[in-house]
Amino acid sequence: MKKRIMALLMAGVMVCSMAACGQKAGNEGDSKDGAPKKADSISVTTTFAGEDGNAKNYKDACKAFTEKTGIAIKDSSATSDKTFKSRVATDFETGSEPDVLFFFTGADASSFIEQDKVVPLDEIREKYPDYAGNMDDGKLPGNLVNDKNYVVPVNGYWEGLFCNKAVLDKAGVAVPGADYTWDQFLQDCEKIKKAGYTPIAASLGEIPHYWWEYSIFNNTTLATHTQIPASVTEGNGPAWVQGMEDIKALYEAGYFPKNTVSAKDSETFAMFTEDKAAFLIDGSWKVGGIIAACQSDPEDAATLDQKKLDKFTVTYVPAKADSDRKATDLIGGISSGYYITRKAWDDDAKREAAVEFVKFMTTDEMVGKFAQHSATALKEAPKVENVASLQTIAIEMTSKTTSFTDAAQDVFNGDCRVSTFDGMANIVTGKVSAKDAVAEGLKAYAEQQK
Amino acid sequence: MGANVYKNKKPVFFFLIPAFLFMAVFLYYPFIKNIINSFQVIPGLGSPSKGFNDPWYANYQRMLTDEAMHTALKNTLIMMLVTIFGQVGIALVLALLVDNISKGAQFFRTVYFFPIVISATALGLMFNLIFLYDKGMVNQLLEMMGKTTLTDWKDPAHALVIMMLPVMWQYVGFYFVILITGLNNISQELYEVAAIDGASKIQRIIYITLPLLRNVICTCVVLAVTGALKVFDFPWVMFPKGMPLGQTWLTGTYMYYQVFNTRNIGYSSAIAVLIVILGILTSKIVNAVFKEVDY
Amino acid sequence: MKHKKRIAPSTIIIYVILSLWALTTIYPIIWVIQNSFKAKNEILADSFSLPLGDLFTLANYKTAFERLNIFSAYRNSILISGTVAIVVILFAGFASFALVRYNFRGKKLLQSLVIAGMMFPVFSTIIPVFRMLNSWHMVNTESLWMSLLSVALPQIAGNMSFAIVILTGYIRSLPIELEESAYLEGCSAYQTFFKIVVPLTKPSFATVGIFSFLWSYNDLFTQMFLLRLPEHRAITRLLNELTSQEGTNYGLMAAAVALVVIPVIFVYICLQKQIIKGMTAGAVKG
Repeated sequence: MKKRIMALLMAGVMVCSMAACGQKAGNEGDSKDGAPKKADSISVTTTFAGEDGNAKNYKDACKAFTEKTGIAIKDSSATSDKTFKSRVATDFETGSEPDVLFFFTGADASSFIEQDKVVPLDEIREKYPDYAGNMDDGKLPGNLVNDKNYVVPVNGYWEGLFCNKAVLDKAGVAVPGADYTWDQFLQDCEKIKKAGYTPIAASLGEIPHYWWEYSIFNNTTLATHTQIPASVTEGNGPAWVQGMEDIKALYEAGYFPKNTVSAKDSETFAMFTEDKAAFLIDGSWKVGGIIAACQSDPEDAATLDQKKLDKFTVTYVPAKADSDRKATDLIGGISSGYYITRKAWDDDAKREAAVEFVKFMTTDEMVGKFAQHSATALKEAPKVENVASLQTIAIEMTSKTTSFTDAAQDVFNGDCRVSTFDGMANIVTGKVSAKDAVAEGLKAYAEQQK
Repeated sequence: MGANVYKNKKPVFFFLIPAFLFMAVFLYYPFIKNIINSFQVIPGLGSPSKGFNDPWYANYQRMLTDEAMHTALKNTLIMMLVTIFGQVGIALVLALLVDNISKGAQFFRTVYFFPIVISATALGLMFNLIFLYDKGMVNQLLEMMGKTTLTDWKDPAHALVIMMLPVMWQYVGFYFVILITGLNNISQELYEVAAIDGASKIQRIIYITLPLLRNVICTCVVLAVTGALKVFDFPWVMFPKGMPLGQTWLTGTYMYYQVFNTRNIGYSSAIAVLIVILGILTSKIVNAVFKEVDY
Repeated sequence: MKHKKRIAPSTIIIYVILSLWALTTIYPIIWVIQNSFKAKNEILADSFSLPLGDLFTLANYKTAFERLNIFSAYRNSILISGTVAIVVILFAGFASFALVRYNFRGKKLLQSLVIAGMMFPVFSTIIPVFRMLNSWHMVNTESLWMSLLSVALPQIAGNMSFAIVILTGYIRSLPIELEESAYLEGCSAYQTFFKIVVPLTKPSFATVGIFSFLWSYNDLFTQMFLLRLPEHRAITRLLNELTSQEGTNYGLMAAAVALVVIPVIFVYICLQKQIIKGMTAGAVKG
């Protein structure tokens, strides 16, 4: 018996390792044979993964690209969360960044832009004059480090209020419109709660981001929203504290799910799609998530349950009566796009392939497919075809939006977020006062800026 | 005589070098390097150090005021008690019970060991399903028994227990098997003599079994305590980022969080040093306690 | 063992208690497996019924195979853990032999270094190890081979101490006479090691190998640090990724857990005598 185990183990490992060696040798051979002109593969990292509505579009596009050019895509895309952002940062630090990166342009990008690890558009256009030629340069997103443009954007984003009409109906609440006020919202929440449903699907313990942004936005002004206050008493400071207090009031009124501090975002999102909760503030990428939740096979559009999808709509986020912001002023804009890294640019073979890839992914047609209901930087607006009903509603909504404002959290980034993001549960349960939490975050931010 | 055989010392190096080279490069050197790192400012996993802290012990000073760190420490100490009394305690009771039966001992031995061979990550996913709020195995069971409201097992009131329960449960079988072997090594004659002297079963356990098992139990307790410091997978899968309210931090998970979420490498190195110190201290304490019982 | 004909009530109580604990170790696994054959809403509605008739579906497994790289994750896990087990057996065997049979200066120091090695949890070494492997371009590389090796190397070192402790305990208990006669017949130290010591130490080698394999296979922490590309992920890492990627797809989760658990349980049941005997021999002696 003993002999057999050892023999099995040994044999298994030897077979496997031999197979792996064989593979490796094969690859080396390939690269020797291949012309130095163009690489036969490039590595790409994007946020089109997991529940992102474009995950499937992206996969299909990569496949089409490989079929067309013979260049393989080594994809390491992931859902964009803190871990992902930290991984991208670590990749740049360790010199193992991908050749092409689809990423944000806010504070997350500052470190690698500062270190010149990505290539600005101007420099690319010197060699490839028609690079991003279909984009309106005025609409390209900037960055926090210098005034150059680095990315070719695909889709913009917006954050809105998704509603489950089935729950609203049962609670006798009308679907909110463009003039939705905070007071009405509170009344509606009360009605929904009385009817035995959860008014707001949100996991304050894991993803308080959307509520954080809008609650602050309801207390700042359109012009100053993205300014980070120096302290809790200066500038936007009091607005930030008030924003946190507003969330706390909603929590204390019992409008969030019972387990909002312990549940994961996926659980509270499931409450929304399973007719247990009425409202959900989330980003444009969630349109795809909702459609996927209405398909018996999330990857197969043919399995869509139209009746279920018809229950969902998206609208404006309520504004406070005394707020500078109207309900139709949304958080949104264009804040991400394709970067080409310096590493790929300096490698003749990779450069060619990387440029070709980004061009392929940002044609008018491709951008139209990815953007659909969100903004683009194209010179000519793309035609949108065959969309699901919820996407039509979203297009309708964004067309009547009065303004898009950048998110303050794109600037307020890193360690400083801990006390009000991860710490949101502490704030709403009263373990830490809103003022102290905001103050702690601002202090960390000030230290970061040094 | 034995020394004669191995008088030629040349092969010693051949035999020792591979193992100790591995340990030197991947254990001792990193360990020392980690201590040095813990006094420095390092802004990212791949970035070079920005030099020593001012004051040099700043990372350690920060622990004193970092509330999440206090929670992590407290939870880790609780975890140690849970592993000692929960894991080794339950294992001891089960082992004594199995020693009293004649049929099925082999069966129990096999099934008690199940959870150990399965990865804690898989078990973590499984327990996530079991304790799911709306609604997993436990809440369904309670509903069948007539409970009308759902219990949130991951809320602040239950989180700590629900985090530690699976950890405790997983390793009971491990200590059970060690203890059972210890029990089998005790000669039956001792028991028979005691039985003739009129000792009851309980007396036999207290006066014969436990003293003779002392060394084995001591080994188990040391393993359990140092094991408690290594717990990572279960809490990370079931309660990521110390959720809820940062109540479920353990030193290990908090260190990982500091590396990947706040990217404070110096501070996480300091936490790692603390974990080692805790490990050494507690195993010394355990050894001392068991020695005292000796006399 | 005691021999009694009639069953005392106390014996019944003992069996009940033992069976209850057995239930906690068996039932959750059965529960997960039975639910892996059900659709998500059926799991949430009634997870206790058996997946029979209309309830039964293979959809979760279909999705698992289509969407998760289960097989490549298995291959990666076996490669990593197999390498760890074999290298640990070999090198720890060498070192233990030298530490037991030879007398040399610094032996005491080496012995305490081995014990000290057991006190360093992976937390305390991983950051420098990461930075070191990174400077050797072994982390975040596109080469699968390098990636897997980068996980195996620190795990080998991490298991070495434990292995040496167990093996020295065992080798010490071997009678030296056989080695003496081998010496008299003119065997070199190497020959003596491979021809005499290794065969005698086999049970202990098996223990060390099995446990190194298991610990490496189940070690999520090192994999989280060192494996990046999806196709490099080993099985534990894949499972961990599942929660964030698939959110509330509980059916798929049950299927993935079942896919990971079933082969392990199967192998365990086949080898269990060996595993338990070896483990106890090692642990009690060590």
